[in-house]
Amino acid sequence: MTEQTETKKDTVTVTVDGKTFEAAPGELVIAAAERHGIYIPRFCWHPRMKPVGMCRMCLVEIEGVRGLPPACTTPVAEGMVVDTRTPVVKKAQDGVLEFLLINHPLDCPVCDRGGECPLQDQTFSFGPGESRFVEEKRHFEKPIAISELVALDRERCIQCARCTRFADEVAGDPLISFVDRGDHTQVLTFPDDPFTSYFSGNTVQICPVGALTASPYRFKARPWDLDQVESTCSTCAVGCRVNLQSSQNDLVRMLGVDSEPVNHSWLCDKGRFGYQAVEHDGRVTHPLVRKGDELIEASWSEAYAAAAKGLADVRDLHGAGAIAFLGGARGTNEDAYAWAKLAKGVLATDSVDCQLDDGLPAAAVLGLPRATIDDACRAKAVLLLGPDLKEELPVLYLRLREAVVDGGVAVVELGPQSTGMTRHAKTTLLYRPGEAVEVARALTSGRDPMPDAGGVRGEELAAAAGILGRAGEGVVVVLGRPSVAESGRTVAEAAAVIAAAWPQARFLPALRRGNVMGALDMGLAPGVLPGRVGLDAGREWFSQEWGVLPEEPGLDAAGIVGAAAEGRVQALVLLGADPINDFPDRTLARRALAGAGFVVAVDTFLTDSSREADVVLPAAMYGEKAGTTTNIEGRVTRVNQKVTAPGTVRSDWIIAAELAQRLGGDLGFDSTAAVWAEIARLAPSHVGLTADVLGRRENRDGVVAPYEGEGPPRHEAPVEQIEAAAAVHQGETLPSEAVAGAPEHAAVDEPSDDDDPAGAGRPPLLTFAVGDAGSTAAPPAVDAYALRLVAGRRLYDNGVTVRHSAHLAGLAPSPRLRANPYDLDRLGLGTGDRVRVTSSRTTLTLEVAADTGIPRGSVALPFNLPGEGAADLIDGTQPVTDLRVETTN
Amino acid sequence: MGYFEGFRVTFEQLFRPRVTIQYPEEKRPKALRFHGRHVLNKYEDGMEKCIGCELCAGVCPARCIHVRGLDNPPDAPVSPGERYGFVYEINYLRCIHCDLCVEACPTEAITESKLFEFSFSNRQDAIYTKDELLVADDGQPKHLPWEDWREGEDLHTSAWVRATAPNGDADYEGRVAWSAELGYGVRPPEAGQLGDDDAGAPIDDITVEQVAEGGHH
Repeated sequence: MTEQTETKKDTVTVTVDGKTFEAAPGELVIAAAERHGIYIPRFCWHPRMKPVGMCRMCLVEIEGVRGLPPACTTPVAEGMVVDTRTPVVKKAQDGVLEFLLINHPLDCPVCDRGGECPLQDQTFSFGPGESRFVEEKRHFEKPIAISELVALDRERCIQCARCTRFADEVAGDPLISFVDRGDHTQVLTFPDDPFTSYFSGNTVQICPVGALTASPYRFKARPWDLDQVESTCSTCAVGCRVNLQSSQNDLVRMLGVDSEPVNHSWLCDKGRFGYQAVEHDGRVTHPLVRKGDELIEASWSEAYAAAAKGLADVRDLHGAGAIAFLGGARGTNEDAYAWAKLAKGVLATDSVDCQLDDGLPAAAVLGLPRATIDDACRAKAVLLLGPDLKEELPVLYLRLREAVVDGGVAVVELGPQSTGMTRHAKTTLLYRPGEAVEVARALTSGRDPMPDAGGVRGEELAAAAGILGRAGEGVVVVLGRPSVAESGRTVAEAAAVIAAAWPQARFLPALRRGNVMGALDMGLAPGVLPGRVGLDAGREWFSQEWGVLPEEPGLDAAGIVGAAAEGRVQALVLLGADPINDFPDRTLARRALAGAGFVVAVDTFLTDSSREADVVLPAAMYGEKAGTTTNIEGRVTRVNQKVTAPGTVRSDWIIAAELAQRLGGDLGFDSTAAVWAEIARLAPSHVGLTADVLGRRENRDGVVAPYEGEGPPRHEAPVEQIEAAAAVHQGETLPSEAVAGAPEHAAVDEPSDDDDPAGAGRPPLLTFAVGDAGSTAAPPAVDAYALRLVAGRRLYDNGVTVRHSAHLAGLAPSPRLRANPYDLDRLGLGTGDRVRVTSSRTTLTLEVAADTGIPRGSVALPFNLPGEGAADLIDGTQPVTDLRVETTN
Repeated sequence: MGYFEGFRVTFEQLFRPRVTIQYPEEKRPKALRFHGRHVLNKYEDGMEKCIGCELCAGVCPARCIHVRGLDNPPDAPVSPGERYGFVYEINYLRCIHCDLCVEACPTEAITESKLFEFSFSNRQDAIYTKDELLVADDGQPKHLPWEDWREGEDLHTSAWVRATAPNGDADYEGRVAWSAELGYGVRPPEAGQLGDDDAGAPIDDITVEQVAEGGHH
């Protein structure tokens, strides 16, 4: 932003308070002044929203302009001279503040905002000091809950409209609005319609007074006893930057940090309030070892010994291939690397999967050309072949929504049901579950006339193809798993078809779990090794360091669960994974846990799955450990520790290292810094990305892997430039927040950097092509009596975070079967009726609802909601799940 | 003679009035604004004045105060308003009796008594909880078994507040800017801030002489 452009007409010269500087034409005076260190007071203006000029606090004097224009609605102009501190301006500020305080109750001592309140601060800095108003103030009922998460105190409101504008402009959920007139103007929800936005917590963060407060934080702490650290949210894989705040060693609040490439200061409510799970009383705080039917508390050494003995016995008796690892997508990169090294480098098993068959094959995620969120928001067109972003990656939804609404990006949606993005999409192609490949083939075929494919009409396909263009130039594909009830391989195959037809298209993975991308990068998937290389391609590179490696590719999650159910996998290590609730096919998951002779669970809570384990090792949660995490773009950012873990809980990488030692191996690190140093030395996509590089100020938004050395720009810089840039940087002392111990490890790294500046000898990174997804069995022909299941997800589900967050747990909806009204009519059903739903697995009784967003022939049931649901119905051995829906009577 | 010269000071002292007293059997009256053990006050209707705002904890230079607020139960509110002090603890091993908490308190909930004579045999006992700090039903500080209270020491728990107000500005002398207290009602202001003894009402029952005599300035 501070770059000076050379041609004159690109900037204008303005003078504010005697300081002359260049500003971009169209930039607002308030923003330009702030960039140059002149703070103009404001309440309603927010840099991420459109200006309205409602609060009148930013009035300034501009030479040649009559009156006092607001700085937040006035764009800079050539030669403009602005004064922000003249007596006239001061008088106006005094007046505005005195007016605002007329009706503002002075209950600052009981207000959650007191101490960090812009109204307080600006009254001290710019206010009149005394009020002449002695009459009774306006009164409203004190706080009213406008949702489960947000309380509204209308007495404190100063009508800046930040919240209503946020809800309308940014979130697209205009559920709050001004009502009444004059001094009775108030923000309210519509009758019987609470503020159930997934983004409601942001209004609390941007409220310049204490009118909106968060119920989970209400009276928990006061600003001056908060201690904070910047970190990255790991609720989903968007990787929003946050401030993690604690009081008395308890996490009490999370605030969004404005990260330009990622979250623009916004957070979703699940991310914002999910910290409550960390503080939940039900955490596993000590290791547990099964004695008979019970899990008994044990010491760490007993538990390690029991776990190691169980794993070693299986290895010795059945071979390493009989050991499998599931999960690991919730930790840090260091945790994931440690587990990958334990599984592949010590035990030599490749049956490792950080996803539970609810994502996409690792090769597809790692091997397709990657786009960043910014790339997607600036693309010519976005093809969305993935989940409901609003439900699974809410802040990515906000970013894309903004790109559509303000940037005019064309979104083509391709999915089995309409989503939160549908109303912003240029066109939505609803395909029959399991037939994404056919649609992708047709879409990229360029044929005219376009034939029907996968349940999508030819005309619709032609219109979509027209928007996306022919060669995929400027197209970003947001790629995820649209429905857990259809095989991820078909989606990956569809992506491969698109990539083959449109070589210029780039892909932004839309996977869900916190650090699933980091876990994939660190090799927690079958057939890959850390740093985005294939098992065979990386064999030589890694065997020098790791010693042993698996002989051949192992099983993915579906394979592991299937093999465990049949007794071919004898030992199962669950890394925070709860297959009973998260694996698409619950029946199979139950059989797998029963079939595996020995189960070790590394978990934070006793879940349905970890209750079945023989050894439970308690792991540290988010906020209790430091390290790095990787978001959907491949952006590596730091996560930091804020509180100490309860009981004797340990970080995953420590558990992995201790287990390795008892299994006769040595992971070779003794701190998170040492783990990262090894990653930055070994993992081909991360070579050179040392703690030192990550700690630099210019990298505070993280560094996107694959790391290609220093110096702008990525992809284009020739090697000489990168070397030159590196040489320049070495001479400078750059600010570094490197973890203790990092510098020496960084020093160790340098030789490998110097030996290998352009990557000679390093194994090539993975690529993904048509056919790499493995066998994609065609779905069976549609049975006229059956409805095909679509299982998307809801933001508030039955997952560990939501279930253990007091304020979120109640928000998970109860499962309802949604179908097209046409299909319901056909069955003689209406919304609210209860029906018997039968799949090849089981029969459930559920309530139905009509939904025109579900195509005819399909039926939608969200995955992983409390109680019985989609997981009971899904048959994981089939590419799709067909249901019979019958009336109950 | 030279021998007795050395005793001159001693003999002179023999005939001067004695300044030492037989502490602890005998005690000096304490200064009017002596900073002793804290009390948490109540309003006349018995509601607690503390609203759990933590300003005392925030200002405390010794970090000895721990406060946690909670929503007032709607059917049986503990304090007026939305929040009350759910936890209130002072660690007297840390407290330096600087009275900044008293100055910071927006509701005059926390003030100090004259009591400094209390001791503990373990660290846990040094942490006074809300139960111990809160005044009794008659508005008087609770006399805890290990504390050595003397006659009248529990009467002047809000002397500092009543000296001047607001914010210690002597111009406000004589103006009542505080709320009523359980057991006392609205206490009168303290006189003499501007060097003019008639400017305000006299302090209730400690005489000016007593103050002059007992004050170690």
